[in-house]
Amino acid sequence: MYKLLLILKYLRKRRIAWVSLIAVMLCTTMVIVVISVMGGWLRMFRESFHSISGDIIVQGRSMLGFPHYHEMIKRIEALPDVKAAAPVIRSFGLVNINNQIRSGVSVIGYPPNISQVNGFTTSLFRMTGAKELAFSLIPGHDYRTPPGFSSRGKDPKTWDGMIVGDGVIGLRKNKEGNVDRDTDVIFNAYVVLTVMPLSPEKATPDLTDKTMRFFWIVDDSRTKVHLYDSNTVYVAFDALQQDLQMDARDNEPARASDIQIAIKPGANLAAARDRIARIVDDVTTSHGYDFRFPYSVKTWEETHATFLGAVEKEKVLVTFLFSIISIVAIFLIFCIFYMIVVEKTRDIGIIKSVGATASGVASIFLGYGAAIGIVGGGLGLLAGWLIIHNINGLHTWLGKIMGIQIWNPEVYLFDTIPNTMNPREVAIIVAIAIVSSILGALVPAYRAARMHPIEALRWE
Amino acid sequence: MPLTSPSTTTPATQTILRASAIRKSFRMGDSRIEILKHIDLAVRAGEFLAIEGRSGSGKSTLMHLLGALDVAETGAIEYQGQDFSSMSAAQRSRLRNRHFGFVFQFYHLLPELNVLENTLLPPMIELSWIAFHAQRAALRQRAADVLDQLGLSHRLKHRPNQLSGGERQRVAIARALMNNPKVLFADEPTGNLDAETGRQIMDVLEKLHQDHAQTILMVTHDRTLAAKADRILLLKDGRLTTEPK
Repeated sequence: MYKLLLILKYLRKRRIAWVSLIAVMLCTTMVIVVISVMGGWLRMFRESFHSISGDIIVQGRSMLGFPHYHEMIKRIEALPDVKAAAPVIRSFGLVNINNQIRSGVSVIGYPPNISQVNGFTTSLFRMTGAKELAFSLIPGHDYRTPPGFSSRGKDPKTWDGMIVGDGVIGLRKNKEGNVDRDTDVIFNAYVVLTVMPLSPEKATPDLTDKTMRFFWIVDDSRTKVHLYDSNTVYVAFDALQQDLQMDARDNEPARASDIQIAIKPGANLAAARDRIARIVDDVTTSHGYDFRFPYSVKTWEETHATFLGAVEKEKVLVTFLFSIISIVAIFLIFCIFYMIVVEKTRDIGIIKSVGATASGVASIFLGYGAAIGIVGGGLGLLAGWLIIHNINGLHTWLGKIMGIQIWNPEVYLFDTIPNTMNPREVAIIVAIAIVSSILGALVPAYRAARMHPIEALRWE
Repeated sequence: MPLTSPSTTTPATQTILRASAIRKSFRMGDSRIEILKHIDLAVRAGEFLAIEGRSGSGKSTLMHLLGALDVAETGAIEYQGQDFSSMSAAQRSRLRNRHFGFVFQFYHLLPELNVLENTLLPPMIELSWIAFHAQRAALRQRAADVLDQLGLSHRLKHRPNQLSGGERQRVAIARALMNNPKVLFADEPTGNLDAETGRQIMDVLEKLHQDHAQTILMVTHDRTLAAKADRILLLKDGRLTTEPK
């Protein structure tokens, strides 16, 4: 009983100990913020990459893609663990948007059922969450040939629809965190997309052999992955396949760059991958393996292992470095507690003379350390929560008054700083803060316990 | 409620505390000074015993040995027949808490605790958190009663630095009495007080002895104070001799 009373009294009245309390608080805040940002960054990577990749990907390892994907999909979809599979084409092209933006872009061709295998449709502005991805023109919209533009006689009402990454057309978040979107301008913007087909027959590409197609922007996508949003346009699978001459022609079967596959919830990802790999191998072998079309079958994590691994390692490294810095707090607590024990020598003598045991005296100072850890860790948690939940606003504010941008989307790939806390990580950090505080108090507590009551009473 | 009443009665004239051939020395640089050379002592239950001696004669050291605050180099000290040397440090701590009370010259109150909390310190040390809370109201009442009888009922929430020397010493006496000690040790209890306040403190000790048969062992350098005791022993050159009253 006396231990708790003295711990609470010391906590309130020994202001020197507040220094160690503030140190614990700052260290806890620092580690929570760093781990939450890094952990959130990693989570965003995982969620975003998973969202745009499906669960398992049969990936063509050359720009030619691979053939027989229809047959593969048919057999893959027959597997009990598989929910759906869809072909995808990836390539590069040049866009001319409204004769104002001309740039090189990644071009992705998606089939209508892509929403069954990945989360692309959730990133759309106009067709958010559409069950079927449509590249058709916006119904009722008055499409007219832009003044001075030669569409080579093609009626603008028959052009194709294109979805653009919002960064491609310069959409950015404003200070309030919303995207200013002028749909009148966006949905009246035309795009000329030029792509270059690659022939499996030719060793080098024919630079004169290009395909041009006219599009209207029918939607914009915001996957939150800056790499995609700033540099990617999306068109209908069939149209891109045709423009890249990957459709069936001259006795060559149609080709796709990837097959994205979604598996059913609870199914074993690695086992499903192995079964799919066997099917793909079987189909390829049955048609005679063609060395021009190498492929790989990977889970989404394996596909993005380079990025995810780098971020995971960075998180571990940063956590380790900040943990070492936090060890300083243990030494600070040790020094302050040592001072307090010296200062309280006579009180220790009094308590012992009245009957407190050595373990009882040690418990006072260990409990005092734990109390510093609990209060400091709690306040650190609160400060960390406030910082994390307002981190993007703080970043904008700091940028405004100091003119610096710490979080560069081009470097960190995401346009917002992650602002979620993992309860498990936070609990571990606070627990470590408490244990560290007790560790800091250990030697002073031992010294207090060992004091001889008479020597302590006579201490001046 | 009486000011104090030992928890179990020990028949008067029965020896409650006995020291046999105890020695104690201290290192002073390269040499050792033998402060207590051969002490034999028996304290009877209900007795008010004064040990008189000059400053540095070793009377406080003797009190610390008899109060289980320190350990003799040779010889034996027994409390109710139990030898201190057979006790562990924790057992000696429990003995001090439950059977002994201490009043020191410099009061030795905890500055962070108020008067009531300082008085409640012995039962707080003795009892677990749960046990203390179960008896909290009764213990607070007893502490308040003891403090009231010592004239401190209006000072319960004050801290030691808000009290006079005499009031601090009375709080120290209240704390010493809180667990109904069998033996009350007083080390120069008036040594830090003016004459009038010192007289008041001695009146309290005398009243405790007379009204409640409290066993008191007081060490002092002051012959006048020692004369208030039933029996006086003189500590000189590390040995005890009987001093006529």
